[in-house]
Amino acid sequence: MTSDLSTPGHRHGLRLVLMLMAALALVMLADALWAQALAQNPFGVGKGAASAAEAEAGGVVAWLLAKQAEFYRAMSATIRAAKSDGSAVVTLLGIAFFYGIFHAAGPGHGKAVISSYLVANEETARRGIALSFASAFMQALVAILIVGISAWLLNVTAKTMCGTERAVEIASYGLIAVLGARLMWVKGKGLFRTLARPAALASPALAYAAASAGDRGHSHGHDHGHGHHRHDHHHVHDDGCGCGHSHGPEPAALAGPQGWRHGLVAVATVGIRPCSGAILVLVFALAQGLFWAGIAATFAMALGTAITVTGFALLAVSAKGLARRLASGHGGRAATLLRGIEFGAATLVMLFGVALLSGYMAAERTACF
Amino acid sequence: MTTPMLRSWLRAFAIAAALVAGTGAASAHPHVWVTSHSEVIYAADGTVTGVRHSWAFDEMFSTYALQGIETKQKGVYSRDDLKALAQTNVESLKEYAFFTFANADGRKQRFQEPVDYYLEYKDSVLVLHFTLPFKAPFKAKKLALEVFDPSYFVDFTLANDEPVKLVGAPASCQLAIERPKSGTPSAQQPISEDSFLSDAFANYGAMFANKITVGCS
Repeated sequence: MTSDLSTPGHRHGLRLVLMLMAALALVMLADALWAQALAQNPFGVGKGAASAAEAEAGGVVAWLLAKQAEFYRAMSATIRAAKSDGSAVVTLLGIAFFYGIFHAAGPGHGKAVISSYLVANEETARRGIALSFASAFMQALVAILIVGISAWLLNVTAKTMCGTERAVEIASYGLIAVLGARLMWVKGKGLFRTLARPAALASPALAYAAASAGDRGHSHGHDHGHGHHRHDHHHVHDDGCGCGHSHGPEPAALAGPQGWRHGLVAVATVGIRPCSGAILVLVFALAQGLFWAGIAATFAMALGTAITVTGFALLAVSAKGLARRLASGHGGRAATLLRGIEFGAATLVMLFGVALLSGYMAAERTACF
Repeated sequence: MTTPMLRSWLRAFAIAAALVAGTGAASAHPHVWVTSHSEVIYAADGTVTGVRHSWAFDEMFSTYALQGIETKQKGVYSRDDLKALAQTNVESLKEYAFFTFANADGRKQRFQEPVDYYLEYKDSVLVLHFTLPFKAPFKAKKLALEVFDPSYFVDFTLANDEPVKLVGAPASCQLAIERPKSGTPSAQQPISEDSFLSDAFANYGAMFANKITVGCS
């Protein structure tokens, strides 16, 4: 499939990849929805159908849940064992790593926000990976700080510690909503501009320029900063079709480092909220007099979490990349659709924030009882 | 744009949408594990008056909950030391309807505030004891009781040894217990589904519900 990239087979190959990805996404989604549909069905299903349905509903979701419960329980046992046998710490790190991988497959941990952020922006796979790792490790640091200060230094009760977690949680959800609203503003303007003058974008060449500019990520912003005339010319159109960071409201936003700063905002909104699992492990380790082992386990967990989140981030970046490539050479309407997707993803980020804030959607519940 | 192109394009959009939606909407996961013992309490005239639970938390959560609690003797927690924590527990549980859902002959039954609540620390875990009196005691041919967290933050497992007892029940009453299959969500309809949280994501935990039924002729 990869050998005939310049022929009509190229398009065929793209489609195939696309369909594979769609299938993968659907399987993931269907598994969750199927399980929910079964729980929702007010009359249940027929006796005969039930057993077959049950087997499927178990599927990936139940397996993930079973695995993470297994690793979670093994962690407390291993921390206990580490008290008398130091070598158990190595086992603990391994368990924590796998717990991170499986645990992060559930909701929360910033997968949805980071994926949406990546779709909304013209991001590269490299930045997707960087954002995923940065947010996972920031989550670990925040968990260590919360437990280190409140439990180790101040020895406050779980109730007080939980209050802190809640405050941090609300801050995180608020920031997600604000980030989403900001993205909506920026992307909305891009969308409006393409809708307003679709004729200007009808040329395939310009669409291609936009696509390749996007591929180069922040380096293109750097070029722009140096003000090469030719590039500037391209970027005016790029701006018009609303690609990448380049249609930020103020010219300063076009520069590369600024783009990274925007990425850091996304990392902060997600990373500020620690994982309840890490907090529990840290407090447990502290109670056993092995706080350092808890810290090591938290970082191992973050590594696992980062890998899972990266998987989702790369899927998001590839889906967006495919969409962009398909859109290139198809003129104004395709570009408008692309801007529409970006605006939609921005809206999703905002909605996640609002839904989490209002408690309609629970990513994770802070253990406050 | 040609029609097949538009179609594949829409497919790309579907992927992006499924990605973000799927990541957000997938299953919740528990951070707290509870092993439960429950008693259904009957009055002398055969009416059901309430439910008494004793819930053992997992070791990790127990340690977390005990963080910062002052005791006279290190590592020994008396009922008195844990009084404030037990108070917090039952107050917080109210928000979650005590994770207990009752239905008598098709009618949802409500609980009063919990009474006789206390915590004990046993075998390095916390056990919460509390009684939930029904608002209006009732007689029922079929009482269905479920213990579960609809958002599945707490995983409830019925204890292996006599997880449910009938206290003072008429001789004609029969107890039946249905556990969720190990790790596999049950496909059965949750009894509280219509009356409790009805939105799709909040009721995810219903698949892991423990169903207790008492039939009296």
